[in-house]
Amino acid sequence: MTRTTARTRSWCTRLAKSRWARVWVTATVGVVGLSGCGDGLASPDDAGTSKVLIAAASDLRFAFTEVGKQFAESTGVTPTFTFGSSGQLKEQIINGAPFDVFASANEQFVLDVVAAQRGLTQTVQTYGWGRIVMRSRPGREVPTSIADLVRADITRIAIANPAHAPYGIAAREALQAAGIYTQVQPKLIFGDNVSDALRLVETGNVDVAIVALSLVVLEDELYEMIPENLHSPLRQAIVVTTTGDNQNNAHKFVEFVMSDRGRRVMASYGFVVPEEDQ
Amino acid sequence: MLNDWFPLWMTLRVALTATAIASIVGLAIAYLLAKGSFRGRALVEAIVTLPIVIPPTVMGYFLLTSLGANSTFGRVWENITGSAIVFTPTAAVIAATVAALPFVVRASRAAIEEVDDRAEAAMRVAGHPEWKVAALVTFPLARRGILAGVALAGARALGEFGATVMIAGNIPGRTQTLPIAVYDAVQAGDIAQARNGSLLLVGIAIAALVAMTMLSKRRT
Repeated sequence: MTRTTARTRSWCTRLAKSRWARVWVTATVGVVGLSGCGDGLASPDDAGTSKVLIAAASDLRFAFTEVGKQFAESTGVTPTFTFGSSGQLKEQIINGAPFDVFASANEQFVLDVVAAQRGLTQTVQTYGWGRIVMRSRPGREVPTSIADLVRADITRIAIANPAHAPYGIAAREALQAAGIYTQVQPKLIFGDNVSDALRLVETGNVDVAIVALSLVVLEDELYEMIPENLHSPLRQAIVVTTTGDNQNNAHKFVEFVMSDRGRRVMASYGFVVPEEDQ
Repeated sequence: MLNDWFPLWMTLRVALTATAIASIVGLAIAYLLAKGSFRGRALVEAIVTLPIVIPPTVMGYFLLTSLGANSTFGRVWENITGSAIVFTPTAAVIAATVAALPFVVRASRAAIEEVDDRAEAAMRVAGHPEWKVAALVTFPLARRGILAGVALAGARALGEFGATVMIAGNIPGRTQTLPIAVYDAVQAGDIAQARNGSLLLVGIAIAALVAMTMLSKRRT
């Protein structure tokens, strides 16, 4: 009896004395504490009624940031945006990502989401048509025609990845329609999405990029429009998704994008917006 | 310095939780691999090491297909809890844990195997049960190797990106960790935010590694 107590005590003392044990205790307490307070940040209740999560195509990065600001002012609902390539966002939503709205750079991915029963079919709407443009790296003249891209002094051209980015698909179609795709193919560098392609040219890492008009229209840098008959129309559609927790706000946001005010913002970023009674 | 501090807390929380889980699970696996003799040991070790070898995107893909809303597990989870497990902070912890685990296992296993058999034998002769031998002799003697593994695991968890962005996504205020916030800032052309986030991550990593090194030296 006494021996057991003594042994237990020495075991405890040794454990208490060991720095190693103290480190573990501190770490465990720290982790548990941090996880506890962190939960408040991320639980669904905190999504509450004043939020809405929006998955939006990369070409909308600047336009939707502005639309979001005005939406928050007029409704008190704060939108949170995740920008990415439409194809990747579509995959995430089909896999259950908790977005309330999906604004794609094409119509097909929205229809895919609806087909996967992750979107409300009656909420599908076209909010605009996009255009593609050429942008050069800083300090370099912009090619005046897409055919110029075969020139030897243009060694690298960035486009969004056509495997999952609608603006990449449009860029590839335009190069094919201009009959220069096979010639320029070795020069092509794929950005993750259209704003990644813009980043590549803005940082001077490629000579030219084919990007969305909406990303460059309000900048000082020059750009050159690519004729719209060279690619299939970038008909951009939006849908309320069923994966989120804020469906009421989702409807409000889509309404706002389609409203006069929303359309005015979209038009100022170079989108061709639908008529009032589409 | 940062427009939004959420990604920093998210990263610390995910990295610490993942490191703690990876340390406990990893130590147990390392002990079994070092001491146990069972069929398929080499296979277990290979599978546990896999996350070091395969690209994080491939890991993300496997996790998404096995935990995603269209997987069997994902469907069962959604039926029980009412929401998907992917694209949540939990998913970020899973990705970081899987990425960090092999570092604990490999370092700890080597350290445990190097512990002098005679010290363990002496404990056994004195009649102590096997768990006590492990807790009082094996692990304390192997602590430097284990700590090194835990430090590497923490560093790996802190910087996990590829798999996290695939199964937790890039949702600001919800699942966006600091590495993902840096990527997003670069894409948005917000160079100041990208730089500040990067410097912060480098600072945390250096501080954690230096602390770990000092800790393992002081106890000799």
